[in-house]
Amino acid sequence: MEQPHLTIPEIETADKWEAQMRKGCLEMAVLASLWHGRLYGLEILRVLERDSRLVLAEGTIYPILNRLRAEGMVQSQWVEADAGHPRKYYELTQSGRDRATRMAKTWTEFSASLSCLIEPVLNERKMEQTL
Amino acid sequence: MTTESQANDYLARLRASLTGMTLAEREDIVQEIQMHIRERSSDPQTSIEGILAGLGPADELAQQYRTGLLVQKASHSISPVLLLRATLRWATTGVEGFLVFVIALCGYGMGVSFLFLALLKPFLPQYTGLWVGPGEFSFTVRMGGTMTNPASPVHEVLGWWFIPVCLVLGSLSLAGTTKLIQLLLRRFRWRVPFVTTTNASPAMMAL
Repeated sequence: MEQPHLTIPEIETADKWEAQMRKGCLEMAVLASLWHGRLYGLEILRVLERDSRLVLAEGTIYPILNRLRAEGMVQSQWVEADAGHPRKYYELTQSGRDRATRMAKTWTEFSASLSCLIEPVLNERKMEQTL
Repeated sequence: MTTESQANDYLARLRASLTGMTLAEREDIVQEIQMHIRERSSDPQTSIEGILAGLGPADELAQQYRTGLLVQKASHSISPVLLLRATLRWATTGVEGFLVFVIALCGYGMGVSFLFLALLKPFLPQYTGLWVGPGEFSFTVRMGGTMTNPASPVHEVLGWWFIPVCLVLGSLSLAGTTKLIQLLLRRFRWRVPFVTTTNASPAMMAL
C-alpha cells in the first residue's frame, strides 16, 4: 500500500505514537497470552510475536512478569522440564483473569467506538488510491 | 572468551546490579535469566552475543527489575521516603516523571513546613503565626511584626489556634500528596524497549 507523503518529524512522531500505543497494550497482551494455561518466559515472547506481532526485547518480558507476580496477577512455579533444565512457568491468578477480562472489554469497546470515527479517514484514503 | 564464560560474566553483572531486594528474589531472577540463556543457546543458529544483546545490558535489565519492584511497593506504601524514591526514578525517564517528582516534593515540603511551624509556635509565639495585613496572608515565622502590637498593619490572627490549624493542614498535605502519588504510580508505565515492529526500523521503535 502506498504510504502518504510524510516529513521525517512526522514519521518520527507517528512511530513514537505507535510505540506508546503498543506499550500501553503490553500488560493486557501478556495477561492474555497466559489465558489458556501456564507458559514460561520464552514461550510468552513467542506467543506475543506469533499472535499479536508484538516483538519485544527479550529482556523486557521478565521484569514485567516479575511485577505482575508482585501485584498478584500471575503466579510462578519452577518445573523440571524435558529440556534438561528447569523452567519458570507463569499462570494467571483469579485477579489476573479478572484484570485481563476487564482490559479486554475496555479495549474492545474503545476500539469499536474509535473505528466509527476513523472510518471516513480510511474510506477517503481508499478513494484516493483508486483514482 | 567462551560462551559459558560470557554467560557467567553477564549473570555476575546482573546479580551485582540487583540491589535492594532479598537474596532469594535476586537468585530467582538470576536463575530465570540463566535458564533463558540456556534455552536460547540450544538453537545452533543463535550466538551467545545475540542472546545477550536481546537481553540488553545487565545493569539496564537489573534497573527494569528494580524500577518495577520499587514502583509496585511504593504504589501501596504510605512511606514518603519510598514514594519520593519511586518518583525520583520516574523523573529520570522523562518530563512526565519529573513533573510528578516536583509535585511530590512540593506536597511533602508543604506538609513538613506546616508541621514544623506548629512545633515552632510554643518556642517563638510572638514571631510565628498567620500574618494578615495589606497584601499579606502567610503562615510564617515573621521577625518584624508581633502580636503585642495590634496597631501594626500586619498582624497575627490565629493566636494559639495556629498550632491545631498547622497540624491539620500539614497532615492533610502529607496525606493528600501520598494518595496522589500512589494514584499516579499505579498508572505509571515505564520504558519498554520494543526492538522491532511490522514496518518501523528497530532504532525508531526503541523507546
